[in-house]
Amino acid sequence: MDGVQEKIIRVGNSLGIHARPAGKISQEAQRYASSVTICSKDAEADAKSILDILTLAAPQGTELILRAQGPDAREAILGVSRLFEEMFGEDR
Amino acid sequence: MASRTLFGIPVSAGIAIGKAYCLNKCHFSGTARQVVSEAALPGEMTRLTQAFEAAQADLERTLAMVPEDLKEHAAIIESHLMMLKDHKFRKRAQDHIVSAKVNAEWALERAVNDVQEIFAAIADEYLRQRMQDVQLVAERVLGKLVGCGAGREAIKHRAILLAHDLTPADTIELEVNKIMAFATAQGGKTSHAGILARSLQIPAVVGVEGLEDNLNEGTIIILDGFDGRIILEPDEEELARYTDLQVQFEGYQATIMRSCRLPAETIDGFRVQVLANIELFEEVVAVNDNGGEGIGLYRSEYSYLSRSQMPTEEELTEIYADMASLVAPKKLVIRTLDVGADKLMRAHTHVESNPALGLRAIRYCLKHRDVFRTQLRAILRASVVGNVSIMFPMISGLQELVEVKKFYREVQREMHAEGIAFRQDMPFGIMVEVPSAVITADFLAREVDFFSIGTNDLIQYSLGIDRTNKDVSYLYQPLHPAIVRSVKWVVDSAHRAGIEVCLCGEMAADPFCIPVLMGMQVDSISLGPHAIPGIKRIVRQASMEECDALLKQVMASQSVARNNKLVREMIFRRFPEELMFYSSLVDE
Repeated sequence: MDGVQEKIIRVGNSLGIHARPAGKISQEAQRYASSVTICSKDAEADAKSILDILTLAAPQGTELILRAQGPDAREAILGVSRLFEEMFGEDR
Repeated sequence: MASRTLFGIPVSAGIAIGKAYCLNKCHFSGTARQVVSEAALPGEMTRLTQAFEAAQADLERTLAMVPEDLKEHAAIIESHLMMLKDHKFRKRAQDHIVSAKVNAEWALERAVNDVQEIFAAIADEYLRQRMQDVQLVAERVLGKLVGCGAGREAIKHRAILLAHDLTPADTIELEVNKIMAFATAQGGKTSHAGILARSLQIPAVVGVEGLEDNLNEGTIIILDGFDGRIILEPDEEELARYTDLQVQFEGYQATIMRSCRLPAETIDGFRVQVLANIELFEEVVAVNDNGGEGIGLYRSEYSYLSRSQMPTEEELTEIYADMASLVAPKKLVIRTLDVGADKLMRAHTHVESNPALGLRAIRYCLKHRDVFRTQLRAILRASVVGNVSIMFPMISGLQELVEVKKFYREVQREMHAEGIAFRQDMPFGIMVEVPSAVITADFLAREVDFFSIGTNDLIQYSLGIDRTNKDVSYLYQPLHPAIVRSVKWVVDSAHRAGIEVCLCGEMAADPFCIPVLMGMQVDSISLGPHAIPGIKRIVRQASMEECDALLKQVMASQSVARNNKLVREMIFRRFPEELMFYSSLVDE
């Protein structure tokens, strides 16, 4: 079923979405057949593109909307949002 | 220590602040931009893909060799690898190959530039710095493309290049991404270096007096591409002022570039076609990049200059056909040889006391029929390739036009007899730039398919002034009632005869003149590629209603001072932002 899944996520790590988190996000998003996007209040990024994610320029505390559409949208949301929850393995 | 200021000719707008790098013929292993034929595009795509894959394989190998205790280092390689795999980045480069028809190396550079532009807008300093990573990644791919590893010396940091002169070869070999701006001691308004600078959108100043006495590596410099100023070792106040201007201009530039591919249509639905004037083959890329809808004026002189022999029919055919196919389906208007006056060629050296009124352009061609025939045949042969139009310069009246048409038909008959293919109905037009042609425009309009009004010459001939003469150049006034009436009469004569009229010349690139020209309802304008985005933006914000009202006021006015005041008021009122970055022909 090609449903659209959405989830509000928050950037928790102190450095914000810099190169390494962006790399992790894109790597994770690429595992799914669904299209995955991350929206800030004034921009939208393809979660499979590290450069796109970087241009969101999201510092700590930013609220973002994670959106996935496709056959494995639910899994994609879970997988990507887990990275945010784990703060990309930083700040520990 | 007080700053020193040098002056030159501004050829590409913008502000650069940086360290001087002096070019002494050292080695550059940079990127060459090559225009690629349609047939070779798939090959370039393959090269690009293979280079990305090879670079990726290298990095993966490197990554595998990183020991556990250097994890921090691995993270950087990992993020580089992700960038290398970034499908959007790769697609950007691929799109550039197709849209600009260029080699893989250049397309890659363009893709990096695109990303750079996006990153430049990011407020976060750390993230903006990530641009360096993109550049490093691109260099890896580039290394694969050119078949060598990294190991490049040359310019270490981005710098302002200072040189005696930049030859076409120099400008091609430069590591363009490391150059913020450049200044040369030699060169003029139409030099190759200026064209390159505009296409790269970096500021440049040429013909700088005293530059060579000040070639000190590492000096801090402000280069002002608006007024041709170069400030050496600027003080704090100057730095602050120029930094502000730089930021404003970059913002403005980004704004106009975003909308440059949209049609030039007023808010009330009147559309004008925006074409480009070009001289060199390479400029076609800039035309596409800046949203040009075709070539309204291809100055064919370049192939004739700086050589001892006239070009052959084959040489010319190849140039015209290549360009036509590159530009197609958009139109390419080739203007026949316009030499004489200031553009003497060595092949037929000839001294005249008054070259502007002498044997030039169509007069020269009618006298040297062999030269004319060769060019006409080449243009006709190229006409089967794309959307080509032919245009004749400096026609002074009906009799001359009839003479040209007679010879043109004769050449067509010859080619027909030889079985050479050409497009019989290739649009046939003339430049209207001599006052006698203006006055008889109604007669001429019945004989041709289109008019192109060349305002630069028209103003000089109508007002009887030589613009390059400093003592009289103040009289060069595009909004002189005589000029406004002339242009209006030519446009109306064309429309009455049911033909299209284009306006080429600096007036078309002057924001102060555009509303007046729009009011006349010219069908198209043709201008330097770099000026297209700004002019399109003005057209898109204007309304035909206000342009028409302005034109009526201007047509009723008897003085150039009042006309200038009228257009200035409108521009100040409606487009204040545009003003800061334009120089206008219209005086205060």
